[in-house]
Amino acid sequence: MISSLIKRSVLLSILGIVSAGPLVLFAQSADAVKQPYQTGRIDSGTPNSTKVVKDANGVIISYGNSSIMYNAPSPSLINLGKALYMQNCASCHGAEANGVGASGSYPALVGLGPATVHFWIASGRMPAANPRQIQAMRHKPRLTDDQAKAIAAWVNSLAPSYPFIPEPNLAGASVSNGAALYALNCAACHTIEGMGDALAFGTYAPSLHAVPAVQVVEAIRTGPGNMPRFTGNLSDKQVTDIVKFVTTEIQHPTNPGGLGLGGLGPVAEGFIGLALGTGVLALLGFWVGERDE
Amino acid sequence: MSETLNTKRAKKLAKGPFGNVGHALNEIDDRLGAAKGGRTFLDKIFPDHWSFMLGEIALYSFVILLVTGIFLALYYIPSTAIVTYHGTYMPLYGQKMTEAYASSIDLSFAVRGGLLMRQMHHWACDIFVGALVVHMARVFFTGAFRKPRELNWTIGTTLMTLAIVNGFLGYSLPDDLVSGTGIRIAYSILLSLPVVGSYLAFWIFGGNFPGTMVIPRFFVLHEFIVPLLILGLVGAHLALLVRQKHTQFPGPGKTEDNVVGTPMFPVFMAKTTGFLLIVGGVTAALGAFAQINPIWQFGQYHASNISYAVQPDWYMGFLDGALRIWPSWTFHSFGHTIAFETLIPALILPGLVFNLAYAWPALERKFTGDNAIHHLLDRPSDRAVRTSVGVTTLSFLMILFIASSTDVIANFFQLSLNSVLLAMRILTILVPLIAYPLTYKICKEMQGFKGAGKRKTTNMVTRTSDGEYVATSTPQYVDDIPSHLAPIPVPRFINEVEAPSSDADGNGTRVVDR
Amino acid sequence: MSNNHENHTPVSLRGLSADDPHLQPAARNPERVEKVISISFFIAIIFGLLFIVAYVQNWQPFILGGFLAGSLLLLGIGLVAWGKYLMPRGPFVEDRHEFRSTDEDRAAFAAAIIQRGGGVVKRRKVITGLFAGGMGVFSLGALFPLLRSLGPLPEKTLFHTDWRKDTYAVDITGRRILIDDLAIGSIVTVYPEGEQDSENGQAVDQTVLIRVSNRNFTTMKGRESWAPQGLIAYSKLCTHLGCPVGLYEQQLQLLVCPCHQSMFDVHNGAVPNFGPAPRPLPQLPIYIDSEGYVRAQADFNEPVGPGFWERS
Repeated sequence: MISSLIKRSVLLSILGIVSAGPLVLFAQSADAVKQPYQTGRIDSGTPNSTKVVKDANGVIISYGNSSIMYNAPSPSLINLGKALYMQNCASCHGAEANGVGASGSYPALVGLGPATVHFWIASGRMPAANPRQIQAMRHKPRLTDDQAKAIAAWVNSLAPSYPFIPEPNLAGASVSNGAALYALNCAACHTIEGMGDALAFGTYAPSLHAVPAVQVVEAIRTGPGNMPRFTGNLSDKQVTDIVKFVTTEIQHPTNPGGLGLGGLGPVAEGFIGLALGTGVLALLGFWVGERDE
Repeated sequence: MSETLNTKRAKKLAKGPFGNVGHALNEIDDRLGAAKGGRTFLDKIFPDHWSFMLGEIALYSFVILLVTGIFLALYYIPSTAIVTYHGTYMPLYGQKMTEAYASSIDLSFAVRGGLLMRQMHHWACDIFVGALVVHMARVFFTGAFRKPRELNWTIGTTLMTLAIVNGFLGYSLPDDLVSGTGIRIAYSILLSLPVVGSYLAFWIFGGNFPGTMVIPRFFVLHEFIVPLLILGLVGAHLALLVRQKHTQFPGPGKTEDNVVGTPMFPVFMAKTTGFLLIVGGVTAALGAFAQINPIWQFGQYHASNISYAVQPDWYMGFLDGALRIWPSWTFHSFGHTIAFETLIPALILPGLVFNLAYAWPALERKFTGDNAIHHLLDRPSDRAVRTSVGVTTLSFLMILFIASSTDVIANFFQLSLNSVLLAMRILTILVPLIAYPLTYKICKEMQGFKGAGKRKTTNMVTRTSDGEYVATSTPQYVDDIPSHLAPIPVPRFINEVEAPSSDADGNGTRVVDR
Repeated sequence: MSNNHENHTPVSLRGLSADDPHLQPAARNPERVEKVISISFFIAIIFGLLFIVAYVQNWQPFILGGFLAGSLLLLGIGLVAWGKYLMPRGPFVEDRHEFRSTDEDRAAFAAAIIQRGGGVVKRRKVITGLFAGGMGVFSLGALFPLLRSLGPLPEKTLFHTDWRKDTYAVDITGRRILIDDLAIGSIVTVYPEGEQDSENGQAVDQTVLIRVSNRNFTTMKGRESWAPQGLIAYSKLCTHLGCPVGLYEQQLQLLVCPCHQSMFDVHNGAVPNFGPAPRPLPQLPIYIDSEGYVRAQADFNEPVGPGFWERS
């Protein structure tokens, strides 16, 4: 009896010690884990969506609706992703993707979701060309889309989160509704013509003229850098409306009036009006009139 | 046959030496007595220095504004009633918008030639105010505002203010996102006036912002009241010019008591009509090839929407820049708020500048003690103080104008927005401070240098047969034309040459009477 | 430099010979200039006809305008060249006659006003004064319909919005906002339920909800209950000139106004720490009800928007 009690208590204490270890580790990384993507609304970028696809083990591999399907990066890419990560990202973001220990000036990536990781790499902002720049600039991507997905797969495997990588379907999207939503939510930073502009202290809102549809969705849903994120207050249908507006009217404006003058608005128009209008006319006046003797 | 010929010839002779046209003119003179005045008018001499063309640019772009404006007024609906757009521009299809915005969109897409007219109208306005600025600067720097032309200077400064105001009213009419933001700012500036602010704002706008009355009221002002004022003042401006005759630069044959140049008819009329066509052509070229104010991209104005990089049109830029750089010093005490952070940059500062302009002729009379009549112009470098004050004021206004693009500058040059703004604050003080002594010094140097600003001559060195070198001053180009003629009065009659003259000195020919 | 001295002797006003140098064209080769001008007029005619064709065929605006511009420019340049190079080159002169009136005329004019007019006024002081008074009262009275009829009195309109106790916060589509809608770093523009479609309502009531945390947040002393579960509500109306402050930077925690770049500190009660805005954005006290909807506790604690005289 006593021996079985002792055995049980030894077993329990071993179990306790064994489980305490990971619990301690887990507690540490719990601080580093960002809050998972929140929203209670249906069809807003979480598995709380009309259409959910699970694999054989019940793990969600994609969710969404007719507007956007969010697809998890394939688990087969995890090993490739880890290798790529260690090569390209670990020097700044840490071997466990939780930010470099002492300085902490590089963000922890755990728990951010695959879309975030995919966005930063596919837009060429990461690997950072200049890590000390205030804001990473859009760049020709240094890694391919599949490599980006692989790294996303590995980072996600550390602490699974949402949203997954979006696949927007613009077929049923309304440009007109997108224009109205864009004017309310996006124009304040990106300007109504999508040119982007300078924000506070050296940050800036980038131009939207070369952004593919997938990255527009990812930016809206994940809120990269200083950009706020739009979760439950924009449904997937509304997001595709905005994406359709951006990829058609903003990126390919019809400009029926002639040259678009860079989309800078009255600043550019003023220069042209003064230089090419009044200036040219004054020069022509120089010909019409006489000069001094 | 000879009878018919005789009757014909008799009839022709009866008409006088100038034929049918002369007969018609006589009939007109019977009714109006206009021959003497008409002749005087046609003989009027216009000095045609190129800098005198700048006012014409302004005048003719105003004509273009009137013509294109009438076209636009036939289609634009000044109403804030809500309609649903069902036109051809798909990004707006099905959206609710005001009739003002919808009619402006239809002008751009549905009315044939409408977009061209809209763009020409807007470009003509930019050119108009630009030409006014340059013309005003020319008048200022050459001292053309002096006695007896102070009244014309006052009229001109008022025209400048009216042109700027009408431009603001005009581009606010389509009720789009960008111009609507400007109206919101105008409302807040009205609000900031002490004591009367909230009353004026509520009365002019018919209530709290935005209300439904602002577009129709802007329309009446822009279409009717202000253009009438401008037309009247332009008429007075030109009438004074005709009465007092144009000023001229000093030069050979030019004195305070005469005017040398080209006669109104036919030379000046040809050149000025040609220039009208040129101004129209340049405006049409801009309206055709350079897109301006693409309101379809901006969308209908809603009070909770906003875009970034929303500067006003360039001639309002100095106000926007002043509002950006002025610190947030507000006054709040005794149960009242005086919004100095708005009042000073938006009202007091431009008020000071314009009042300085109005007061300048009187100020200059007082400080130089010069009450004489002046019909000859100064070279700007000859009047160092006046030129320096003008350059300083212009540079101050220019810095404010540049300050309205702080965000665009920061974005373009990849600088911190905050640093750009602080730099603008410093520059607003520094640049005028440097501009004054710099300009003064340059003027003084040019005064001391004989022949400064004049066309250069070359020294032609010839060697005499004795071996002596002689240097003479010659025009820069050996076959430079024209050979100088002394000015003569406009001839009363032009006489045909009947035969080669036998006079040795070629001094007139026999008059042939018809 | 002139070598035509013989033509400077005064010419009789009765007539000037047609070959006087003043009447000759300025161009050295007038025939060539005339040829160039005629070509330019000819092309202008072609452009003018093409303009008509472009209009009838409804071609694009830049083609229509291009032909118009070409036609006008060529006509204008040709006409100016005609006047400048082919017409009598002058120069001509006319005298400025002093247009000041004679002293006698001046005296008579002044006498008419001062003696005749002044005499009348002096003799009839009472009725002159009364007439002046009447015109003055009329002018003052005319201001009343001119100004006062334009709009209502402001009264207390500027002091309140439509937010009241228990008002639901809705977005532009009218949908009520749930606390779960907003992740940390989210921003949404909201209006009191029922006001989202009215322009006046949008203008005054516009509010931004920003989620900065998952726990109750205190922006300033005394506002401990105003930001439940990290959701802060600020008026979107800039206190400088009333532009919507829609620009939110979630890492810098700044609300930037796009008009004149005032920057408001989101964590500290939207105090402006850069730019021309004089006051913080008013904060709307909100609470989360049992179903998770965002509702207001009361109206804003102070008038929203730019400053005005009556704002105490």
